[in-house]
Amino acid sequence: MNVTFIVVGIVVLLATFFIVQYNKLVRLNVAVDEGFAQIEVQLQRRADLIPNLIETVKGYASHEKETFEKVVQARAQATAAQGVAAVAEADGMLTQALRGLLAVAEAYPDLKASANFLSLQEELSGTENKVGFARQYYNDNVRKLNEIIVSIPGKFFAGPANVAAREFYAVNDPGKRDVPNVSFN
Amino acid sequence: MGSLTAFVMYAFALYAGYTSIGIIPIVVGISLFGVWGSYYSSDKIVLAMTGAKVIDHETAPQLFNLVHEITIASGLPMPKVAIVQDEAPNAFATGRDPQHAVIAFTTGILEVMDREQLQGVSAHELAHVANRDTLVSAVAATTAGAIALLSDFLIRMTYFGGGRRDSNGGGNPLVLVAALVAAILAPIAAVLLKAAISRKREALADATAVAFTRNPTGLRRALETLASDSTVVHQKSNAVAHLWIESPLDNKMTSKLFATHPAIEDRIANLRALEKTGPSAN
Repeated sequence: MNVTFIVVGIVVLLATFFIVQYNKLVRLNVAVDEGFAQIEVQLQRRADLIPNLIETVKGYASHEKETFEKVVQARAQATAAQGVAAVAEADGMLTQALRGLLAVAEAYPDLKASANFLSLQEELSGTENKVGFARQYYNDNVRKLNEIIVSIPGKFFAGPANVAAREFYAVNDPGKRDVPNVSFN
Repeated sequence: MGSLTAFVMYAFALYAGYTSIGIIPIVVGISLFGVWGSYYSSDKIVLAMTGAKVIDHETAPQLFNLVHEITIASGLPMPKVAIVQDEAPNAFATGRDPQHAVIAFTTGILEVMDREQLQGVSAHELAHVANRDTLVSAVAATTAGAIALLSDFLIRMTYFGGGRRDSNGGGNPLVLVAALVAAILAPIAAVLLKAAISRKREALADATAVAFTRNPTGLRRALETLASDSTVVHQKSNAVAHLWIESPLDNKMTSKLFATHPAIEDRIANLRALEKTGPSAN
């Protein structure tokens, strides 16, 4: 066989290999960015529900000022947070504050029965689920990326592809792992 | 389906007198066209065959939401969600790629299952979409059809000795018998292979579903409900039997080797094992 053909063939194979490995890293990196954007979308949905929720609860339990303050503050912090670590921390604090608010609502049977509150609670519960899954998706992709970067052959392509290990989204929620989630089935 | 069409055309062609090898590419081409045509439009075809109605968020918000949650967890685009009027609890997924996916639930399953179970079922169906199982089935069907065609052609080659009707004895009768047996068994082997592939993909879909939800309990409870419910889906069409989460074909009659799904007890046992050791073990 013609030596030129073999050489060209090997070069083509190597080039394909390099391209595939490079693209794999780049794609995972973009998936991680997308994952974080998704988390922010869901957190924003949750933040948007809160003013309505507070107003509804205030209608029945106006003197629970502390609880409202906590939620409002946590919400403001969550909206202002930038970057994975800050967002994750604010997320945890808001989750805790919301749990406090819903716990307060438990003590007011009129509030619990009100249609407005029930529908808001349902929406909040749905949003919490979505936030949870968004965090999961982000962390899955970060894990995949971080694994590839330290293995062979990913190691050698991380530099040229300008891809570095990414931070996990660690929600620091000192309360139960369960998120305010009351389902009505 | 495609191979059946091909066989009919082939038989017709032979009857009409064409014995040349040239017929094979044409026939295989027609078979491919049939299989890949139905793969390409699988979403529309299956919807029409099952009478499923596509729904939107207003019609069934809870169902939509739980499917949406799985799409967030999996990174898949939101599929079309449809409902089939049938009291038997069952569900399926189809579509040539994640962008054209459809998942459908019977009215029966929506009645007997709670949110956690339904989410397990949705995750299983979306797992089929994520794993490109319609593509895998189409390739398997094409391969099975091609094997059947080739084996048939080989009989004729051996028997007729390449077209020459030689009265000096066509060949060793033992070889002829062996060729006949092989040719008869080859299509059966192809069907068995398709069934084995289908079972493996079902098991993979169960595992992928748990990877999406991180909650084996939902799917496990759903399968337990399905196992205890003896109503079978009305549409027992063979063509789409493999798509349903619970095989609509009578499991007692069908030998285990021909089953398109692993035994439901095994599936439940595997999920229980995951519950004990997996991340949701508290």
